[in-house]
Amino acid sequence: MQRIPVVVLLILAMALAMPAVSWPDSKRDGRPDGGILSYGEYGRPATLDPITSNEMISVRITELVFSGLVAIDEKQEIVPELAERWEASKDGRTYAFFLRKDVTWHPKEGEEARPLTADDVVFTYNIMMHPKTITPLKVRYEFIEKVEKLGDHAVQFTLKRPILNALAKFSFKVIPKHGPSNPLYLTREDPFVQRPIGTGPYILRNITADREVILVANEKYFRGRPHIDKFIAKPFADQNIMSQALMFNAIDMIVLVNPRDLPEIQGDKRFVLQPYNALSYAFFSYNLRNPLLADKRVRRAFTHAVNREEMLEAFFNKQGTIISGPFAPGSWAYNLDVQPLPFDPQRAIALLNEAGFTPGPDGVMQKDGKKLSLSLKVPIEKESEAVKRVVLAFQNYLKNVGVAVRVEFKEWQAWKADVFLEHNFDIILASWVFDDSADISSLFHSAEIGAWKNNFGGYSNPEVDGLIVESKLTLDHEKRRTINRKLHALLADEAPYTFLWTLTNYSGYHKKVRRVAIHPYKFFSFADEWFVPESEQK
Amino acid sequence: MRPAAIRPIALALSREMALTALLLLGVSFVVFLILYLSPGDPFSVLLEGQMAGDTARAGIREALGVPKAWYAQYLSWLGNMLKGNFGTSIRTGLPVFGEIVRVGLNTLTLTLGSLLITLCIAVPIALHAAVRGDTALSWPLTMLAYVVSALPVFWLGYLVIYVFIHKFGLFPLISGSSGAQEHAWLYFMVPIAVLGIANGTISEVIRYLRDEMSRVMAEDYIRTARAKGGSVWRHAFKEGLLIPVTEIIASKIPFILGGAVIVEQVFNWPGMGRMAWQAAQDRDFPVIMGIAMVAAAFVRLGSLLQSLVYAAVNPRGPQE
Repeated sequence: MQRIPVVVLLILAMALAMPAVSWPDSKRDGRPDGGILSYGEYGRPATLDPITSNEMISVRITELVFSGLVAIDEKQEIVPELAERWEASKDGRTYAFFLRKDVTWHPKEGEEARPLTADDVVFTYNIMMHPKTITPLKVRYEFIEKVEKLGDHAVQFTLKRPILNALAKFSFKVIPKHGPSNPLYLTREDPFVQRPIGTGPYILRNITADREVILVANEKYFRGRPHIDKFIAKPFADQNIMSQALMFNAIDMIVLVNPRDLPEIQGDKRFVLQPYNALSYAFFSYNLRNPLLADKRVRRAFTHAVNREEMLEAFFNKQGTIISGPFAPGSWAYNLDVQPLPFDPQRAIALLNEAGFTPGPDGVMQKDGKKLSLSLKVPIEKESEAVKRVVLAFQNYLKNVGVAVRVEFKEWQAWKADVFLEHNFDIILASWVFDDSADISSLFHSAEIGAWKNNFGGYSNPEVDGLIVESKLTLDHEKRRTINRKLHALLADEAPYTFLWTLTNYSGYHKKVRRVAIHPYKFFSFADEWFVPESEQK
Repeated sequence: MRPAAIRPIALALSREMALTALLLLGVSFVVFLILYLSPGDPFSVLLEGQMAGDTARAGIREALGVPKAWYAQYLSWLGNMLKGNFGTSIRTGLPVFGEIVRVGLNTLTLTLGSLLITLCIAVPIALHAAVRGDTALSWPLTMLAYVVSALPVFWLGYLVIYVFIHKFGLFPLISGSSGAQEHAWLYFMVPIAVLGIANGTISEVIRYLRDEMSRVMAEDYIRTARAKGGSVWRHAFKEGLLIPVTEIIASKIPFILGGAVIVEQVFNWPGMGRMAWQAAQDRDFPVIMGIAMVAAAFVRLGSLLQSLVYAAVNPRGPQE
């Protein structure tokens, strides 16, 4: 459900560590260079550096401009990037990275391009962890104890304790020591965040007065010059207009097509719709502080009462998968053996009766004189038509089993204050977006109950807590998988959420763009390989 | 102008300036208070996307050096403002003033352009009606103008986009690189025309101007001018046209600015209204405050201009 507000959980990739494969020095792949690709974004990026930015629009741009020590390839495997090789100590506490010697930073205006050195890596880590730098990355790198320079092209990280898949975490983007004007910490007021330089395939040339971001090919890119000459990110304030812009060739690509516009683009031979895996899902969450909702039978009854297939089909053209538990279906942690609770209003009513509710004179279920009447708070987001339909359908489904739902639409910030701070709600509709990960600890661990924490429903279960901690501590991938499967089954049974669905993301683009591979989260990770045939470069 | 006449005008002007300063102060205080009291934390935009607890939220204010008390926040904003520093946007870190100037020019083009269109439609209709009375031409035209100016601007906007796309196969995309597109000027004109037509001002200009002009035409001095064989237009112009038009424009600036917010959103026009809209959602208070100041100053400037025109053309002006 792309159009409902998304609280992004940035949790680092959990891809399997695999042996290193080295990249070719240049792209002698026989594919033509040239062409321009302009793509539409819904909104404008606030900052363009990889440290202060925290929006998907910025993440996509930094993916083009910067590189990490390691990268994740199309097969979700870890491959060398700025580091050509690495050594991990036997106890898993130190990681040494040996940098490529042929990498240069994008040239600053009127300056020679400088080479990448170990100092830049140390600098990046220090800036990231400085208390005055506000960045979503900080919490992800608290496992590192220190970083040392071993030589001009070698650095060593020491971990506080060994962790599973530590290597994947070194895909953070490295920034140049000579970039930010403040050498200690990075704020959004630093000019660097608007004019960043990196080591990636594209160089930021300028931002136009209309906030279009113009990126040009980095001729000196260490994996060989990217094929497409220029990328232009165009901001749109309206999704309908963005889709129309694609239809009228004002842009060549939309990162995420509005589900409503899929049929129109699909019916047009000029365009390709490419699905990509979304590690996200939508859900209704219940506030367990309300004694009526603290009863598992009531929550399960609600889940039985809603017809998720019908909603997915009617509101999203069936472009998605119904889910049964707390992981995204694309994730390795998802337990396929657990089936979603079936749509069964009779079973829902039976469960409510079992929990002590009987129909009142007005048809609303009640228990000890208390009516089963609840508030559903939904944030108003621009053009949230599908969301409104889901909400109204939900209200209707619950009405059929004798539950009264009052829908309150609230402005985004006010909604957040109600949900995360005041916990003043009975039910909410929202969705989570994960980064390749399966870390659900912040959603369901009882230590995460509190102001501005993610366990806003106040779910607390010692068994779940124990499994979450165990899953975090283990260094064995298979064992973690087993634990997560258990967690999945347990949370599906407990139903702190009514898990809804993962929608399939579609990128829409003009068919002149070839060899498009898409990273589910960072999107442009493989864009240096994309190309436009010479005949179609205008 | 004689030196003796300048002094009273200067006096009146300085009084107006002092009033303006007070007004801006009042606006800034009220806007700040509303922002402060509205739910949501302006700094949470920096933390979106991370699992931030209470400590991180407190830490952010410390890191950015934001005072705790609301009045201290206001006073620090005011202090900077008096030094000509509008502050920087919380979300983008860019200086607010520069950003407002950048997008403000687009908004100025949009609003002034639409005003011109409003006048081009309304003035001829009004004058025709005033001079000729209700004729077979003026009556339906006036009615049409009334109906058109009752259209909501967003509705007309979407209607126009629909017609352009589905009927003419044109795409009204306003954005930097659309300059290279065919019919780029048209895409540029469409939002201006939409705002000019549907800002709800046409009908009022017509009504007011027609009444004023009819009144002036019946004045003795016009009759005298007519008797002398002088130009009636030259005599009626100042009182019958210039003053009513400036008056109505001055009073309508806030409405036109409000309409611009919607038109900018609908047509992807990179202006102040869209910036205000985004900033309001993010609670980016330096930006909102900056825009509120500029908009208030703009409105005030309009009424100052009106007084100036009034003082300049009214023969009794300075003595009043």
